[in-house]
Amino acid sequence: MRKTFTAFVAGAALLAAAGVSAQEIRIGIAQEPSSIDPHYHNLGPNNGFLSHVYERLVQQDSKQRLKPGLAVSWKPISETVWEFKLRKGVKWHDGSPFTADDVVFTATRAVNVPNSPSSFGTYLKGKTFKKVDDYTVHVSTKDPYPLMATEMSTILIISKKAAEGAQTKDFNLGKAAIGTGPYKFVKWQKGDIVEFVRNDDYWGGKPKWSKIVLKPISSAPTRVAAMLAGDVDMIDGVPTADIETLKKNSKVKLSQGISNRVIYLHMDQQRDKSPFVTDKNGNPMDKNPLKDVRVRKAISMMINRPAIVERVMEGVAIPAGQLVSETFFGHTPNLKSEKYDPAAAKKLLKEAGWGDGFGLTIHGPNNRYINDSKICEAIAQMLTRGGIPTKVVTMPKNVYFKRASRGGPDKSPEFSFILVGWGSGTGEASSPLKSLLTTYDKSKGHGASNRGRHSNPKMDALVVKALATVDDEKRRTLLQQATEVGIGEDQGIIPLHYQVNTWATRPGLRYDARTDERTLAMDIQVVK
Amino acid sequence: MTATISETLVDPTGKPADLSPFQRFVSDFCESKVAVAGAIGVLIVALIAVFAPWISPTNPYDLATVDIMDSRLAPGKQMMSGVTAVVGTDGMGRDMLSSMFYGLRISLTVGAMSGFIALMVGVCVGLTAAYFGGRVDTLIMRVVDLQLSFPAILIALVLLATLGKGVDKIIIALIVVQWAYFARTVRGTALVERRKEYIEAAACLALSHRRIVFKHLLPNCLPPLIVVGTVQIANAISLEATLSFLGIGLPVTEPSLGLLISNGFEYMLSGKYWISIYPGIVLLFTIVSINLVGDRLRDVLNPRLER
Repeated sequence: MRKTFTAFVAGAALLAAAGVSAQEIRIGIAQEPSSIDPHYHNLGPNNGFLSHVYERLVQQDSKQRLKPGLAVSWKPISETVWEFKLRKGVKWHDGSPFTADDVVFTATRAVNVPNSPSSFGTYLKGKTFKKVDDYTVHVSTKDPYPLMATEMSTILIISKKAAEGAQTKDFNLGKAAIGTGPYKFVKWQKGDIVEFVRNDDYWGGKPKWSKIVLKPISSAPTRVAAMLAGDVDMIDGVPTADIETLKKNSKVKLSQGISNRVIYLHMDQQRDKSPFVTDKNGNPMDKNPLKDVRVRKAISMMINRPAIVERVMEGVAIPAGQLVSETFFGHTPNLKSEKYDPAAAKKLLKEAGWGDGFGLTIHGPNNRYINDSKICEAIAQMLTRGGIPTKVVTMPKNVYFKRASRGGPDKSPEFSFILVGWGSGTGEASSPLKSLLTTYDKSKGHGASNRGRHSNPKMDALVVKALATVDDEKRRTLLQQATEVGIGEDQGIIPLHYQVNTWATRPGLRYDARTDERTLAMDIQVVK
Repeated sequence: MTATISETLVDPTGKPADLSPFQRFVSDFCESKVAVAGAIGVLIVALIAVFAPWISPTNPYDLATVDIMDSRLAPGKQMMSGVTAVVGTDGMGRDMLSSMFYGLRISLTVGAMSGFIALMVGVCVGLTAAYFGGRVDTLIMRVVDLQLSFPAILIALVLLATLGKGVDKIIIALIVVQWAYFARTVRGTALVERRKEYIEAAACLALSHRRIVFKHLLPNCLPPLIVVGTVQIANAISLEATLSFLGIGLPVTEPSLGLLISNGFEYMLSGKYWISIYPGIVLLFTIVSINLVGDRLRDVLNPRLER
């Protein structure tokens, strides 16, 4: 009996030792990817977690600055043509070499993924890809296109050999999920686990962790509990309610950083009869006060942003006055976050002819952004006190975004007044300007997420001009001007705050916060 | 000789024979002290629910008075309006005591309303099945079987996902979930009763089906229904709490007990225990009280347990 016991202990010790040397890392994640197909859905968690398996021509560092990826260099060779020189000696996970054919194939495939909820067409439409030789690709556009490299840093490159003719499900099952990244895809069991294993032949040197296990844990307290119990080595999306307590806990280390995401309100500025704008007693109206810029300004003034940051976000957010925070390209120093001034708001409402107020319903997701549902409630409190009785309806993100984008008649946005967030994937101001504020036009890829249908030709012209301006300083000024018109003059959207993200690791590990909110295992460092 | 006769009239339980059935029922019920405590608990809870708007220090559903600057106050702290939050405030600045009173109101309304309507529906369907028998019976009971084979929570989730949010919708969902239990119970009893002579007698008098079913059959099926009804109200309350905890069912600005517990769950690890503990205790107290009453009713109304 004793012998068995000793053997058992020795066995356990061996196993434990093996566990350490195997260097497996387990991460509890708040948001699960919706597919392993890198072009199915332009969604934060997909773009983040799939970066373990696939790579981009141009990569972004933790502050979203550009650095070489599968392309070693890029430069414009004429007004409208960019040349990308590809990295030599890179191998796909199936052993075949990476060439220009794969890049051209990716560009044609990524715009045409069936049933894509949010397509990468935004970044690829209007660009023509041409193979020059095995390691050179030319991309041509109609007009000068200074943001070429920035936009190419959003597209994950897939293998032509493995993915030709493949459907999204072939990726999810792993058959077509062949990348060049530091990790190979092993399996994805929806709601339970995503597993990656080390790519020993990685061009950038042998990755540190032999295996990555991602555990989707959507309930915030459960995620924290898993971290404290040692079930996982790291979690993302540390809930704001627990940050203070966790700071004092020696079993975890926190890292925190501002993100590229602004949380804001969209207001219906198109329909005269907006479905969720009512009179004070809840009866439908034929007039839509949200179309009046003074009403929008008044709403913005009724919102006590510092109070939301302090009480709802527990101090972990930054009040916002525009689309990107001050470290980002295109931020304008002339726009500050709107001051809380209920008296002035009341006066302005009266001036606009809505002194008696009107009724609103705010719609928002309840599992997408940090404390999203609570922010909606806080805004309803503030508006109700300001004379606009507001109801709150929140719902899970998969229902919410479908309805908010195209739940109404003729696939128009269903709601009147909504809470949303936008993370600038390009790391500068053109992405939110183009998607949220330019006049909705499907053929041009403009206003793709403009759910309030704000429209001002003056601002559209500034954005279009900025996108074709090669000189950085001139482009910066144009983007700033566009922001000043769209937000400062028009109140096209009401910015609330910039999200700040928090990660927790066990002692001995360090993770540097990323502005793009991604959780990347290859960036986890071992510290003594 | 007369003396012995009067002696045999005394009930075997030792109670005087001149009690009305109701008095007898009350005295039977009161024999268990635990059940009496349960009944008092139910009474307290019901009174709080009815008079919530008058006894609450604040109105937690009025967004104009709730202020996030009051959020997460510990028990005993004063809110900006000057009212003392006896058991603290929640994450949105609502006074917990008021929220629990109002939440109790929603929980009991939902429980009682859905229980009562489900009982009516179930009884009609069950009696029809038992009285007419044959194909009608088979058809109805297979539908009941089908429904009972799915977990209640699953049906409610699917229904609420399609119906949307609101007290009315959650009541509808709970009726759909519960009616089958009543139908099955009443059918069982009615099948036994309808073979008895008094039903035959009523049929011989050529009374209408409706009269026989509702005036003769139904009253004799009531005892098990009362028991099942009580237990189902407790079930409905806990089911509503579960659904609210999962974030579907009721609007976030009008929290019921389940939603209050769910809101507090976020703060469990940060030491703000009062947000979910107190509503939890109230919910526990309510459900235990109703179940105690239900258990005793089962004992008292069950002829097989007659001593």
